[in-house]
Order: sequence, then structure tokens, then C-alpha cells
Amino acid sequence: MTRDPRSLSPSRLAWRRFRKNRAAALGMAAVAGFFLFALVGLAITRGERPVLDPREVRLPDKLKPPLARPNRDAVPARSLPRLGIYLLGTDELGRDVFARMLSGGFVSLSVGFVAVGIAVALGLFLGGLAGYYGRWRIGLGRLRLLSVDTLITALIDVMLSFPSFFLILTVVAVLKPSIWNIMIVIGLTSWEGTARFVRAEILSLREQEFIQAAQAVGAPGGRVILRHLLPNSVAPVLVSATLGVAGAILTESGLSFLGFGVPPPDASWGNILSDGKRYIFDAPWLTVIPGTAILIVVLAFNLFGEGLREAFNPKLREG
Amino acid sequence: MVAFVLRALGRKLWTLLLISIVSFGVIHLAPGQPSQIDPLNPRFTREQLLRYRAAFDLDKPLHVQYRLFYQRLLTGELLSFKDNQPVLGKIVERAWNSFPLFVVGTMLVWCYAFPLGIATAFRRNSLFDRATTLVVFALISVPGFYLSYLGIIFVVQTLEVDVIGLRTFGREGVGPLPELMDRTWHLVLPSLLGATAGIAVLSRYVRSQMLEVIGSDYVRTAHAKGLPEDAVRYRHALRNGLLPFVTMLGLLIPGLIGGSVIFETIFAWPGIGRLGYEAILGRDYPVVIALNFIAAVLTLLGTLVSDVLYMLVDPRIRL
Repeated sequence: MTRDPRSLSPSRLAWRRFRKNRAAALGMAAVAGFFLFALVGLAITRGERPVLDPREVRLPDKLKPPLARPNRDAVPARSLPRLGIYLLGTDELGRDVFARMLSGGFVSLSVGFVAVGIAVALGLFLGGLAGYYGRWRIGLGRLRLLSVDTLITALIDVMLSFPSFFLILTVVAVLKPSIWNIMIVIGLTSWEGTARFVRAEILSLREQEFIQAAQAVGAPGGRVILRHLLPNSVAPVLVSATLGVAGAILTESGLSFLGFGVPPPDASWGNILSDGKRYIFDAPWLTVIPGTAILIVVLAFNLFGEGLREAFNPKLREG
Repeated sequence: MVAFVLRALGRKLWTLLLISIVSFGVIHLAPGQPSQIDPLNPRFTREQLLRYRAAFDLDKPLHVQYRLFYQRLLTGELLSFKDNQPVLGKIVERAWNSFPLFVVGTMLVWCYAFPLGIATAFRRNSLFDRATTLVVFALISVPGFYLSYLGIIFVVQTLEVDVIGLRTFGREGVGPLPELMDRTWHLVLPSLLGATAGIAVLSRYVRSQMLEVIGSDYVRTAHAKGLPEDAVRYRHALRNGLLPFVTMLGLLIPGLIGGSVIFETIFAWPGIGRLGYEAILGRDYPVVIALNFIAAVLTLLGTLVSDVLYMLVDPRIRL
């Protein structure tokens, strides 16, 4: 069945452009693979008696290279790895690196998603507020000096002025070490991009006829924003969210390197990598495996996001 | 024109006020009352708290704390917790150590990113473009410290030379020329590795900016009236394409503090980023807060410079 190409919706056209971009499709496939890895990892490494235990310490089997067989004489039978071999080797405590990568995958994924979720929510809220209600003035009594827009853009300028990695490091170091603090701090310091996109998008959309029509039939502000404005400005948000997940995973690994990442006993790919660096000569797999895994996943998110950006941007189409 | 500069200055002053409040607010992230001390948080003990309360006058009203903090910082009376030296002096001293690294790194970024971005834009979708894009994305996606470790191991094992620190340890008094050469060599690896992410990111910006210009109407007109390809590219497209990057000259200044924490830590480079990291590790809060504030103010100055530069090169802004 062939359809008239002129009848395709913008999102279908974007999907067509996206599919033609092989790197982006590959990125999307890798992102999907990472999701699967993280969810399967969560399922088989959690609980009292998991299939693969990332916390099982086996001192006789420490620093075994990938594919090594366990030492059956020294390790108690109940601690032996289920697979019969150490697929990706063991670390300095004899913990199975494959199991740690599986459980760390979900941790890294959730750091990325929760941080970006916070950033996108804040960005949509503040950007939407500045775009739609920007002309409202706030102030004390009769002195109404500040418009909402001025305040929010100033806030964006302030956040953009701080060196974000150093600010994140500062805040994480002051607070109690916990995975939630890391997610929240990364989220609170990375919403500016989204807020700016949304604000700019809404400022230009709100003057268009379909918004005036919605207002003319008496739709309240909240409905206009949620039903008409946000769906039309979702493309750049989606792009920056995808790239944001990549950035958050990298930031977490940088924090881990400096000793302020996800605290033990939770494994994240970042802290497996930074723990491994002490044994880089004796056990290079402890560095290479998580390092390459992070590289691949972050690359996948970046290619996926870049593909989305090109697909949504009609200006960049083949001319 | 004067009005434009004054308006920009006014906005920056606003932002400066907010920046000073946010930096000051970081002080209040740590627990302020002895009763808030959490025995589970090893990062903040009772002794530290008492010192902290005294240094930031936490028993006085908020506005007095605010005034006293900035008064001390700017008059050089704010002392480091670690060695009771003025914070401002310490920061200036370390900034000088970072300076050569920063200059060489920035030069590398600009000298590689622009030709790379322009060449990939002109040869869009060629094999060269696609291969470069993949490499560039890989460089954006790799954790900086992982790449640095691989680089250090490679150089040390193949060339068997020292790469860590400002100069080779124990090679003093060998005369000025060998000393200079030694110092120069020690700049190579950290500045190169520190610049990779910058090269990758900036070359992408240059590429997309150039693509936008190449697709614009006046470039099509230039082609249509039969100008030779090179004239269109270099005389028409390039000049306008590179216009926005003039503004980046202003944003160079803050790079001095921003991304250097990880690289200066890896290479044991006694610069400003490492000062920040040491201060965070040692709970040296006056230094940490001052660094955040100074970095934000430098960025703000940078944006002011770039606003003015943009006005000078783009006549449309002046209207």
C-alpha cells in the first residue's frame, strides 16, 4: 500500500528521517539493549539469594582475569559463581565483575533518568512559566518591578555562570553521601537548557492563531499550556533529555573518580571504573570493561539524541 | 550603542547579585546547628562545625553574615581552614600554575575544532564526514579520566618518560634550557587530553553552524549567479558562519576553573582545579565557596565581553 507522502504527519516524517540515519538507529538499538541489560541485571542480582550475587566476596579468587575458572578447592561451594566461570573476571575482593556490571547498569541508568527527569520537569515548569506568564509582575505591595520572565531568565543566567561540575562536586561533598543526593544535585544543575528551549518555543507559539483560537473559546491558561503549547515544543526537550542522560552518566563517573560518586555497597559503572584504576597494571580488565561499557552507552545516547535533533529539524534536511 | 552596553551591564549586575546570594547559600547547605550533626555523616564533625560557625558568623542574622562574608573575601581577610592563608592569595597563586595549561589547551581546541568543523560541513555525508562524526562522538562520550589513564599508560610504556606533574621529579639544576624543555613536555599530555572533549564539542557546533549557513538563501543566490565554489564557501558562507563564535572569546576566561578539576587531579598539576578538589576533600569551605563565586563572576564577565563583541561584529544587534 502506498500513501501520498504529503499526507504524512510531522512526527511520521521525523521518524522517516530518523530511520535513514544509520548511526542514530544503531544508537537507539544500543540504548534499548542497555535498558534490557539493566532490567535483566536488576532482576537477577537483587534479593536474598540472587542468581548472580554482586556482593559475594571470595578472597581466594581475587583479581581473576575474564573467563577464568573458580578455584574449587578454596572457595566454598555455595559461593561458586552460577555460570561456572567468571565471565568478566573478578575484582580485588573476588567479587564477580559480570554480576557487578549487571547490578551497576541499573544504578547508572537510574542516575541518568532520575537526574534528567528532575531537570526536564524543572525546565518545563520554569520555561513554561517564563514563556506564558512572563509578563506578570511580582513585587512587594505597589512596587512591581520584576516580571516573572526577568526573574526566571536571571535564574537561568545564574545557573549557567557556575562551573557546573565543580558546583555539583561542592554540593555532593557537603551533603551526606547517598545516591539520591547525586541524582537530585545533577538534576538541579542541568535544567537551564530545557528551560531556555521551552521559553523560546512558547514565546513564538503563543502568538500563533491556534493559540489565540484556544484562548478565544475560553480555555484556561493551564489547559492552553498543557494541551497546546507543550506538545508543540516537545521535540527539543526530547533531544536535550536524551543528551542529558548521557551527560548525567558521565558526570556520575567523574564524581566516582573523585571519590564522591554512588557510595558502596551499591555498584555503578562509574564506581566500578574508578575502583579499578588502582589495579590498572595487574588487572586491566577492571578498568577496560566498565570504561568501554560507559563509552558505548553514552555514545549510544549521544547518537540517538543527535539523530532525533536532525530528524526534528527541517532546516537540516537534505537540500 | 552606549545604551546597549549599559543595558547589558545592568542585566549583569542583577545576575551578579543573584550569584552572590547563591554562592553564599552554599554555606548554609552544611548543617549549621550542633544539634543537626549527624553521627552517620563522616564528612562533618563537631570540631569542624564550631570552626565553620565562627568563620561564617552563623550566629549573626543572615544579612550580616552575607555582608561580612563578602567584605572578608574581597579585602583578603577570608582565611583558609587548612593553613590560615588568605583565600584570595592562594587562588591567584594556583591560577598562575593553571595558566600555561589553559593557554595551550585553548589553542589546541581552537586550532583543531574550526578546521575540523568546517571541513566536515563542506563535505557533508562523505566518508570523511561520517568517520569524523563517529570519532568526535566517541571523544565526547568517553569519561575523561578513562581516556587519560589509557593515554598515560601508553606514553609511559612506549616512551618510558615521566608525564605527571609540572616537571620531572629530582631533575633540578640542569640548566635553564633542559628545564624549559622538561616543563614544556609536561604540558603536552595534560593539555592534549584536556582539550579532546573541547575539540569534539566545538567542532560539532562549528559544523552545525556552517550547515545552517550553507542552507541559507543568500548562499544559494551566490551559487546561482555563478560564483566559483571556493568564493561562495570562503567569502560568503565562512564569514557569516563563524560570526557567533566571536562571542566565545569572552567565554574563554571561565574555562580556567571549570573543567580542570579532573585533569589536574590525574596529572598532579598544582593548578586551580586541584586546589578546588583538595579544598573539597579537606572541608576547606572558605576556599570552596570563594572558588565557586569567583568562577561564576568570571563567567559573567565573559558573557558581558561576548555580548559587546557580538554587538561590534553584528550590526543588526545595534539597532
